[in-house]
Amino acid sequence: MSGKLNRRDFLKALGLGGTATLAGCDMPTTVTLEEGKEDVVSYLLPEEYVIPGVGVTYASTCTQCNAGCGVHGRVREGRVLKVEGHPDSPINAGKTCQMGQALVQAHYNPDRIKSPMVREGGSLVPATWEKAQALLDEKLGSKANLAAGRVAWLTGTVSGHQRALITNHLESVGSNHHFAVEVVNTNVWSAVSRDMLDDPQPQISLDKAKLILSFGADFMGTWQSPVHFAGQFSRMRTAADRGALIQVESKMSMTGGSADLWVAIRPGTEGILALGLANYLIANGVSSASLPGDARDKLAAYDMQKVSNATGVSTATIERIGKALKNRAPSVVLAGAAVEGQVNGYEAVSAIMLLNVMLGNIGQTILPSGKFPLQQLEAKVGGTRDLAAFAQAAAQKQFDVVLVHGANPVFTAPASLKLDEALASVPFKVVMTQFPDETAMMADLVLPVSSTLEDWGTHVAAYQAGASNISIQQPLMEPLYDQTRGFGDIVISMLAMRNAAQYGSFKDYYGYLRNVFANLKGAGATASLSPDEFWNNSLQAGMIKIDSTPRKHTVKASIAAIDAPAADANFPLTLIPSARMGLFDGRHANLPWLQESPDQIAKVVWGSWAEIHPSTASKMGITHGDVIRIESEAGGIEARAYLTNTVHADAIAVPLGQGHTEYGRYAKGRGVNPLKIVKAAVDAKTGELALFATRVKVSKTNKNEIILRLGHSDTQHGRRLVRTVSVDALKRTKGA
Amino acid sequence: MVQWIRTRMFRKYAHGAFHPVSLGVALILAWSMMTSTGFAADVQPPGGVHKGVDVEQPIEFPHNIHVEVNKINCMYCHTYARRSKVAGIPPTSKCMGCHKIIATDKPRIQKLTEYWQKGESPKWKKVHDVPDFVHFTHERHLKKFVFDRDYPVEDVKEVCAFCHGQIKEMTVAKKVKPLNMGWCAGCHEKNGGPGDCWKCHK
Repeated sequence: MSGKLNRRDFLKALGLGGTATLAGCDMPTTVTLEEGKEDVVSYLLPEEYVIPGVGVTYASTCTQCNAGCGVHGRVREGRVLKVEGHPDSPINAGKTCQMGQALVQAHYNPDRIKSPMVREGGSLVPATWEKAQALLDEKLGSKANLAAGRVAWLTGTVSGHQRALITNHLESVGSNHHFAVEVVNTNVWSAVSRDMLDDPQPQISLDKAKLILSFGADFMGTWQSPVHFAGQFSRMRTAADRGALIQVESKMSMTGGSADLWVAIRPGTEGILALGLANYLIANGVSSASLPGDARDKLAAYDMQKVSNATGVSTATIERIGKALKNRAPSVVLAGAAVEGQVNGYEAVSAIMLLNVMLGNIGQTILPSGKFPLQQLEAKVGGTRDLAAFAQAAAQKQFDVVLVHGANPVFTAPASLKLDEALASVPFKVVMTQFPDETAMMADLVLPVSSTLEDWGTHVAAYQAGASNISIQQPLMEPLYDQTRGFGDIVISMLAMRNAAQYGSFKDYYGYLRNVFANLKGAGATASLSPDEFWNNSLQAGMIKIDSTPRKHTVKASIAAIDAPAADANFPLTLIPSARMGLFDGRHANLPWLQESPDQIAKVVWGSWAEIHPSTASKMGITHGDVIRIESEAGGIEARAYLTNTVHADAIAVPLGQGHTEYGRYAKGRGVNPLKIVKAAVDAKTGELALFATRVKVSKTNKNEIILRLGHSDTQHGRRLVRTVSVDALKRTKGA
Repeated sequence: MVQWIRTRMFRKYAHGAFHPVSLGVALILAWSMMTSTGFAADVQPPGGVHKGVDVEQPIEFPHNIHVEVNKINCMYCHTYARRSKVAGIPPTSKCMGCHKIIATDKPRIQKLTEYWQKGESPKWKKVHDVPDFVHFTHERHLKKFVFDRDYPVEDVKEVCAFCHGQIKEMTVAKKVKPLNMGWCAGCHEKNGGPGDCWKCHK
């Protein structure tokens, strides 16, 4: 053997050395377990269908995001072991995403709050439920002196009977302030759909499309109903007449990673490209009959060269997209968060919807959703407009009591909204949560709620896939901790304080739901079943089909001019606070499974990083791993630079999710939160925050840190671990 | 050599085919083994010894009386063994099914009755256990060694004894076999059990 070690020898040597090292440690010599140490307790009276060691499956609903996927939970010896997709769910058809898989980890999380906490002398101390209840009674009970409109609820997207109860509770305390906040939403898309099609949540049929043109809609990651769309996408891709995906965005999303053509676009100019494409299509023979009369004149201003200059997309690429749109019908054109999150987000999304109108996609791939008949159960869809509205109202001292559930606004609100200060000025803040998050730590009373797998609930997804459904969430096991309470149970008890005549008779939320379901049956859900049968069938199926009223799309197209964001020499780059499936908006940062599953594009785990284009980085002398300071007018954050060409040269992307100052051992003190430095500009038409319009400047610090990545490197360093073949070569071998 | 033939032959048998040349030799060998173990030649019970500790249980349950004196089948109480990965500790209601009437004067039964009346099950101590990363299943082993062979179910205790020893001679159970991986793998080798890692380590 020569003096040189090759890779194989090196590994062999390492293996031997490794064994020798291990032998020195306290390695157990046998795997036999100790006898007589562990308790094993039998059933007193066995349930007929329970066999120890064999799982029983129950249907329920996932709550990791708001898509409302049906799940099957496998329960063994009284404990939930695994959650999988419900095969009959029209939303997810037996599949789940990684967030759904991690549902059990939210349930078994060691950082769950295990007893109520009351603020005493400035800090939160554990308390009994009696004390918590007394405090609630004092502030919100029948003897509480509440002026009209002084109580507010702050939640995430909430639907079903939880929403109905919140509405009823507000009514009982003489208020109507329900703020629903979600940072990841599609509210501008909904507003445009409502105005242009008279349908806020049109059903999208990707599987019928021969071309998807997506302007940053991460429909397989975070957009509306990701698992549903991933299923549609896979059917589109595997069909004999295979459809194609063109993704246009400033930072590659998971969906962009699956695209046939990925186009980097200058941030905030997607609407201009859409108008340019409309102009191209008219010039190339696509009828403009469905557009307003002045469409041709208005669109003429968006000629190819002008659009190319504004968007940074080459004329050849624009032409390529245009040709694809013209030739591959039906198509579907989608708009995502980066388009919506601009000061002219509404106009940009309108321009994108205009393409659907022109191309005849309405009625082909964009279909009318049914009108859900039970309005009080419909989703109260969260957004960032409510985030700003709440901050403003609270700052003006409009509320005496604020009740928070299913939202962590102190984490998600940009610092410029000063939401934390506003919230601090509210005299009594109740936070109902599983985890010690940032908002809970500011509360006067923290009520520990049951996990999804321990609690009752009904859910009506905002995006209804196929027929209208109420999804049912049922407890899959006994609560892990005896001092937690179901959310519905808490609201029922608060309602009973104010309205004993109507709510005093319900022992808990379960009792309420049983009563409601007995009447729901009468409302026409199913005939000829006893209430018990209907209830049991509903639980078994995990959902109830509701007959919805059909809707027709009436197209009202309009065109508005779109300007590119103004250049700013002091703040040359645009910040992209990108959300991804996994940590989502930061709500899953406390789940180690999701922390350790790598970002789908950058493959980074456990931390924050800033994606910057190599050409931009080299101008500033930034190398991979350099800690850089990113500053906007609203503040600054520091993150490690990650050089990648999956981001536009004029953008810098910092993923959402990290930067928690509370939220348990896995999340706290890890990374940075880009939302904090977002400038509080709004989309003029909808009032939603323009989260993707913040301009930033970047400066170097003197630090360089390792970025933890799966695989660590994008190249194979000549080792040919994964062999590839070009499409042409493959076609030759197949004789095509 | 003999070991070699045995291993080969029984491996083949697991796949349903004998090696034609070794068949004759094997048949003679098999007949001689049958007389020594009391088992048909297709089964090689595992050997191995483990010196288990005496485990103190909340009630000193006399397996010997139930099995040897009263001839109760193991699967009458450990009823889940044939259907599940675990054999199961019988529900307290099952104990009381008999002991409402039988032997009510015995202190151990009185203690059991106390538990029952309190609505509790005794906290038994686990004697036989494998690590969590081992997915042992009673069901598959009973299928292979009892049901698939048409082995008389009334003698199932001899199959249980492969891994649990002669419980019929014990009061509370005591671990007398190693139940470690080498031991499991040895028996799998001899009896044509699966050799894939993932069969037990999922």
